[in-house]
Order: sequence, then C-alpha cells, then structure tokens
Amino acid sequence: MNEPIKNIVFAGEWLWLGNLGHAFTIIAFIAAIASAYFYFQHESSKDNSMLQWAKRCFQLHAISIVGVFVVLFSIIFYHRYEFYYAWRHSSNALPVYYMISCFWEGQEGSFLLWLFWNALIGLVLQRSAKDWESPVMVVIAFAQIALGSMLVGFHWGDFKIGSSPFDLLREQRPDFLNIPILGQLGVENYLQVFKDGNGLNALLQNYWMVIHPPTLFLGFATAIVPFAYSLSALWRGIDRGWIAPAHIWSLVCAGILGLGIIMGGFWAYESLSFGGYWAWDPVENASLMPWLIMASAAHMLIITKATGRHLFTSHLLVQLSFWLVLYATFLTRSGILGEASVHSFTDLGLSGQLLLFLLAFLALALVVVLQGKQRKIALFSILAVMLIPMVLAYSIEAPESVATFYQWLKGLGTCLFFGWLIYYIYVLYQRTKMEMSDERMDSREFWMFLGSMFLILSLVQVFAATSIPVFNKLFGYKTAVPTAADYNKVQLWLAMPIFLLMSLGYWFKFRETDIASIKRPLLVNTVLTLVATLLLTIGFAIEGYQFILFLLLTVGVVVFNMIYGIQKKKTEWKRWGGNVSHIGFGILMMGVLVSSVNKNILSSTKEGIDMAPEVDQKGNQDTKGIKFNRENQLLYKNKPQVLQEYTAIYLDDRKGLGVDSIDKYFKVAFVKKNEQGKTIDSFVLEPKTQNNPKMGLLAEPSTRHFLHTDIFSHVNYESSMDRKEPYSNFRVDTIGFFRPFITQTGKVVMTIDSIRRTKETAGLKLVLAIKAKRLGDSVWLRPEFMINEQTGDFEMKAAENDRFGIMANIINLQIIDPNPAHQNIVFVIQTGEKTPVWDYVVIQVIAFPWINLVWAGTIIMVIGFVISVLNRIDKQKKLMA
Amino acid sequence: MKPFHLILLVLAGVGIATVISMYGNTTQYVAFPDAKRIAIENPGKAVHVVCKLNKAKPVIYDAQTNANRLEFYGFDSLNNESKVVFTKPKPAQFEQLEKMVLIGTYQDDHFLATEILSKCPSKYEDAPGAVKSNK
Repeated sequence: MNEPIKNIVFAGEWLWLGNLGHAFTIIAFIAAIASAYFYFQHESSKDNSMLQWAKRCFQLHAISIVGVFVVLFSIIFYHRYEFYYAWRHSSNALPVYYMISCFWEGQEGSFLLWLFWNALIGLVLQRSAKDWESPVMVVIAFAQIALGSMLVGFHWGDFKIGSSPFDLLREQRPDFLNIPILGQLGVENYLQVFKDGNGLNALLQNYWMVIHPPTLFLGFATAIVPFAYSLSALWRGIDRGWIAPAHIWSLVCAGILGLGIIMGGFWAYESLSFGGYWAWDPVENASLMPWLIMASAAHMLIITKATGRHLFTSHLLVQLSFWLVLYATFLTRSGILGEASVHSFTDLGLSGQLLLFLLAFLALALVVVLQGKQRKIALFSILAVMLIPMVLAYSIEAPESVATFYQWLKGLGTCLFFGWLIYYIYVLYQRTKMEMSDERMDSREFWMFLGSMFLILSLVQVFAATSIPVFNKLFGYKTAVPTAADYNKVQLWLAMPIFLLMSLGYWFKFRETDIASIKRPLLVNTVLTLVATLLLTIGFAIEGYQFILFLLLTVGVVVFNMIYGIQKKKTEWKRWGGNVSHIGFGILMMGVLVSSVNKNILSSTKEGIDMAPEVDQKGNQDTKGIKFNRENQLLYKNKPQVLQEYTAIYLDDRKGLGVDSIDKYFKVAFVKKNEQGKTIDSFVLEPKTQNNPKMGLLAEPSTRHFLHTDIFSHVNYESSMDRKEPYSNFRVDTIGFFRPFITQTGKVVMTIDSIRRTKETAGLKLVLAIKAKRLGDSVWLRPEFMINEQTGDFEMKAAENDRFGIMANIINLQIIDPNPAHQNIVFVIQTGEKTPVWDYVVIQVIAFPWINLVWAGTIIMVIGFVISVLNRIDKQKKLMA
Repeated sequence: MKPFHLILLVLAGVGIATVISMYGNTTQYVAFPDAKRIAIENPGKAVHVVCKLNKAKPVIYDAQTNANRLEFYGFDSLNNESKVVFTKPKPAQFEQLEKMVLIGTYQDDHFLATEILSKCPSKYEDAPGAVKSNK
C-alpha cells in the first residue's frame, strides 16, 4: 500500500503554502545562526561591520518568524486540513477569534509563539542594550537557534528533531488513506473526506484563553534577558554594569509573569469546574516557580546595585529563574506529568529533545563561566559522550533486552547532570565571590536578603512537591502527588515571614539605619495595623489563630508600605513603584485568605449522613462540610430549594445556539428574602454543560459577581444523563381504541388512535398509533406487532420517546369481532417510564467572599511593577545622558 | 561563625525540614489491603489507590436519593477487589474510564473516596480508537 502512494498526485492540496512556511522556518533558523555568529565575532573582534551584519541577520530572522506565524494562521484560517496541525487543532466551526488559540494547543505553535516573543525582545534589545548588545544578543540568538530547531523538523529514520507545523496530514497519519471510503473515491481525493478538523480543545474556547497564554509566554520569554545579561557580564568579567538593565528586565518579567499567572487563575475560576482559582496543579506550579525566583532576583539585584553585595546570589537567582522557565517547559510539554495534572498536554515524544534543549543552555552557561580553553573542550567532550546517551535513553522506549542497561544509563546521566550542576554553581561562586564585611542587622539589604531567602524556601517546597512525577520516572518510585492541602499548610507559614519583611524592609536604610529615628513611625504603623486587623477580623469573620495572624501580616504589608510612601515619597509617584507592588501583593494575599477560608458552600447538604464521617483529620467536628463534602444539591425543575440564605429554583434549560450545539444551559434563579419576607436580592445564573463526545461532560460554571462576594454555580449532573437507564415503572393495560389510559406514575395519558395493517412476506404487520399527552404537550408512539400467519408465531417491537422518557409495547391482542371494519380489538399494552421522569439538576453553589480583593490586588501589583520599570528606565537614561 | 552564616544555616535547616516532612507526608500508591491497614494505624490519613472499575458489578448512583453518593466495585493494581463509595456525583462517562486514582480512606467495608482523578480514555485524539469519531 505504501509503495504506490509516492506516485500519486493528490487533488486540492495547497502544498505551496506549507512549503512557504517551511522556507520561512529554515530562513529564520539560518538567520539566527548567522546572527549569533556575527554578534559573537563582534564581541571578540569589535569589528563594526560584524555588528551591522549581526543586526541585519536578526532582523531577517524576526521577519521570517512573522512569516511563519502568518502562514500557519492562514492554514488554520482557510481550513487547509491537508496540514496536520490545522486538522488536529482546528475545525470549520471555530470562530476567527479562537483560531489564535490553536497556536497554544499544539507544541509547535507554542514554540512559535515563544520564538515570536523572543524575536520581539531581541529587536527591543537592539535599541536599548547599547554597548551590551552583542553579548546579550548572542544568548538571545542562541535561544532562537534552540527553539528554531524544534520547528525545523529533521527526520533521520526513527530519530527526529523537532516537528514542523507544516507536516502533512497524510504523512502524519498514513492510516487515514486506508479508510474504506477512499476505495471508491480514489486515494488522491482524500481531502474530499477530510473536510473538517478535529477541533480545538473545548476548554480553550474561552476568551481568557485567548489572552492568558500569550501573556504567560511573554513572561516566560522575558526571563531570558536578565539571564543573558548575567552571562554577558561573566563573559566580559564585569561586576556592575549589567545589574541596572538586568534589574529592569527582571521587573518586567515578574510583572508580566505575575499577571499571566493570575489571568490563568481567573480563567480557571470562570470556566473550569474545580471551584477556585488556584489548585496547586503542577502546571500552575510550573509557572509559579520562575516567578518566585524572579521576584527574589529582582530584590537581590537592588541589593547588589546599591551596596555591591551578593553578586554571586544575584547571578545565581537570575540564572535559576531562567532554568526554571526551561524546567516548566519540560514539565508541561514532555507529558511527564501524566495523570498528575488536569491540563491535557500531549506527549509528542519530544521529552528527549526538551532535555537536550535544557542541557544546551546549561552547556552555554558553563562555557561562559569556565575560563581557559582546555577546560572548555574537556568538559564539552565529557558532556557529549555522557549526556547524549542519557537523552536517547529518555526519548526512546527501551527494548526489553536492554532495559536494565537503559535504567543504568539514565541513572548515570542523572548523576552526571547533577554533578555538573553543582560544579557549575561552584565555579560561578569562585568567580563572583567578594570579600566584604558582614552586613549590619540594621541595614535594608539584610532584611531584603532575608526576604529573598524566604521566597526561595517557598520555591523549595513547591519544587520538591511538583517534581514528584519526575522523581517517580527517574527512580521508579510510586509516590502519590501531594494534594492542595499539603501545599497550603506549608505555604501558609512560609508566606508570613515574607509579609513581615515586606512591611519592615523599606523603613531601614541601605548600609545602616538610625534606629531611634524609625522607632516612632514603626510604633504608629504597628498600632494602625493592629486596629485595622481587629476591624477586618470582625468584618471578614475570620476564625482560627493562624488565619488571624496571616491577616494581621497582610494588613501590615498594606499599612507599612502605604504610610512609608505617604511619608517619604509623597506625590513623587514615580518613586512609589515598589511600595505599590507590595501593597497590591498584600491585598492579593488578603483576598486569597478571606475567599478560601470563608468560602461557603451554599449547596452543602446534611443528607446521606451514613457515608461521610463528621470529623476531619484532626478529629474536629467538620461543621461546614468542606472536608468530606456533600457539596451538591439536587434541584427539581420548578421546585424551590432552600440553600442557606438563598432560595434556588431550577426554571428551565435551553440548548446552545446553532443546530449542532451540544451545549445545554440551565437557568437557575436565586432569591434572597429578608425577615419580613421581602425580596432583597434576586438573580439568575446559567451554568452550562457540554456533553462533549471527546472529553465527556464539560461543565462551565456561571458566577454572579457582587462587590463583596461571588456566587459561583456549577452543574455536576443532570437528569438527561440518567435517561440511558432501562425503563421501570412498568404497567400493563388491556384497552381498546380511544379510551385513555395512564402510565404508572400517572404523568402521561395515552390513547390508541388508529391501527395500520400491512401484508409483508413474513406475515401480517400491525402498527398502532398511540397519542401520549403530558402537560399540554403530546407525542406519537408507534409500537409494532407482527404475526406469522403460517406458524402463528408473533414478534413485537416497542416504541419509545426520549423526550417524554416513555415506551409502549403491544404484548398481545384479542380480537372480539373478527370484522376489521368494526375495529373491535382489545390490546394488551405494556407501558414503561424512564426514571427520572421529572427534570433535575445536581448543582454546586459556592459563595466566595471578597474574591475581588484577589483581582484588585493583582492589578495594583502590576501597576506597581509598571511604575518601577518606567522609573528605572528614566533613571538609566539620565545616567547615560 | 558569623551571625549571617548562622541565619543562612537556620534557613537551610528550615528548608530541609520542610522538604523532609513533606516527603514524609506523601503516600505511595497503595493497594486496598494496605489502605485498610493504614486506616487502622493512622485514622483519617488519606491514601491514593490506583483503581480499575469492575464492570461486571453494578455502578449505583441515584441522584434523587442522594446526589453525593456513588457506589461501585473496583480492582486495585494487584487485583484486590473492594467496594468503593465516592462522595460526589457520578463523573461523566464513568463506566468508560480505563483507570482512575482514588483519594480517601478505608472505612468499615468500603473505601471512601473524596476525590477521583481520572483521564477520559478518548481525551487524546491520537489514542487508538479515538479517530473513529472523526469519520
């Protein structure tokens, strides 16, 4: 079958478009290599013509990347399903504004987006980096080469590097050419069969998914710039000049990444069903890890800039945050998380390549940090010899006969990798350590350093817990993935010292502080914080000493930074950046505390006590029913149900727009009355279900936003999911024409209206027409009865109606008067009803108090980052001028 | 020793303690008999069981009687059978699930699951058999 295909000319393919895209990819790849080479030459020789060439090459690269982008979008836009990517990730029904989301469903598209942001960042650096341009751009171009290699798509037999987004459907899925229908149509006309694509993951069809991933990716992409500056400084052997620009970029990164992370949380809250914005899912953690370290690095860079201290730690953190971006890519894109994550990323079999990608950057860093040619060469050769087999061992499934050898190879590779990493950090330390006297306890840098260390502690826990699937794979463990509660109970305590340091830090001056002068303001601040906390504890109704302490410290962050700003910076808004970020973060964490601790499950029920213990893990009474939840209430259609202070009524349901829609909206009204019985609040929520043939039941919550609280509702089950059950409520009636009879529950009234007789080869066929009525609605049922006149045997065929959930069957008939004209026949009819007969919905309703603080805090925090960045750029310009 | 290094040392200690206590708290994926034993030794401790639905026995979910109770029989990875009670509504396409991870504790004669992690078998279009829906 394979042989003749090669000579077939396939009809209707736009191969030129794919070729154009592929050409752009290759041009971009080669231009990146050239650019890296010329920048490197310029850095070594200071030859200005080299710089011109390097700039041009990178610009060509950037244009080509845009070209690839446009071509891939065209393929999706024009529904060219001869290309695998379009077939796999899009469909005819996909609206234009979701087409862009196709880019981040697939691995190739994601890498393309990353390339695009990097190219843009490169163009910005060409203008802003001044005399740092060459070394920094070498690193950026190197990243573009590494990322580009993932898109070029080379194949050597079974071994492949990268996967091109322009691969053809018939090459990716040759089995499709064997489907029977092509036997008649001719294989060359296969496109007439594949007229629609597989479709975009339903979860991605949400407006938040149009903006959240590119924001997150931009945050990830910007992490490379501080890293590039750090390597450039090491390359040049310079201590200081890199710090100011690296600091600006670390703020840019932390701001954008923070925004992207919370956007993801907002998306999860608005359109996923787990009832919250943060679940400590490995994919969320993967984006949090670089943020924690980038925030830590931004502070460390301030210390180094102001005092010259902690140069090593600055380098280390800046680099670590970039490694964590790469690690995050590996975690989310290699498929190693498997069942540990709700995010459905697929394994493209590229885990080996992603590892190689990680190692390439480590190798680059090592080459820069090590001095002396021989050492470089020696290390490189060891690496090449030892690590490539390790990559192979990860990427290729081991044949049975050499399984132990593979395991051994993996172990060796892993040990080498960690040994190499430790050696790298050691050399970095040797090169950047400084002999300096200890910093004083009354200096700002001391407290800032401590704060950064706590951020790192927070990272250590997240890293250790999130990496469990990786350790399982490496060492063959079977450790279960930690639950959200495991994270919460550690992070709750680690966050508190961070809050404390965020409040106090600003009040200390660099180097040394006159303690006497800050005693009074600190005391005033403390009193203010205590009063505010007392009021808020009552206002928010917070219980539990650890939560009150947490609240106290977040209030402290807001108060101390607010007062500091007012006292020291007054209306010089440009200088407020850091304080505003701190205030925003404090408000954000306050919102996290209140909305999660006081989350109120309105739909919780005490029914079914037999199954769930009333005590939680500490043996406490679990009055809120959160631990062992019975969180769902069944609402019958049109029957009011009390949900704490609300009364909920399931009014109606409707199908989504469009003929093929598989969406179903449930209209549920909520009414709140005061003691006099007067309605003080009422609103309607419309949670949605989508019975997706590929992904099962997808439910999209519906939320009512108030200033102080959100009412979140979400459907977990509904009556039509029950209708597949066999019939019950059977009843048998012996009945003649036109006489009403009822089903077992009496909800449906039926009458036999007419009979049709036909002579068939097998015998006489009787078809009854039964009219079934329910609440002014009616349907026809037509059960059949077949009599074989020779043998006297008979066969019956029941009639069903899904909408009414009823069936009728003729079991027998008695002819009273044989003259057919008189129609004097009595039928023995069995009727049955499907349970349930009434529509119902099983719904979860949760009140999240003060969740708006989370979003407001995020916005304020991002504003703070923006102010800081603008202020720093301004200062830098003045310094240059 | 300088006070600065002392602080670093203390922080490193806190970090190591955090990680060790966290790993001490994690559970291995266990079989039903182990879950039973752990429930006696350490009441209330949640464990993870990799489970396969016994399709020969009935799956009982009657939303109208109790919307928060699903009852079924499952096999662990060593083929021990146990009754399982889940405290939430029946997940969609439950009968077609290939494999699931139960989180919960053993209680009397059944495993009480408060969480079921699952991946729908047809979630990945590249999985064998899933392509049929496209024709």
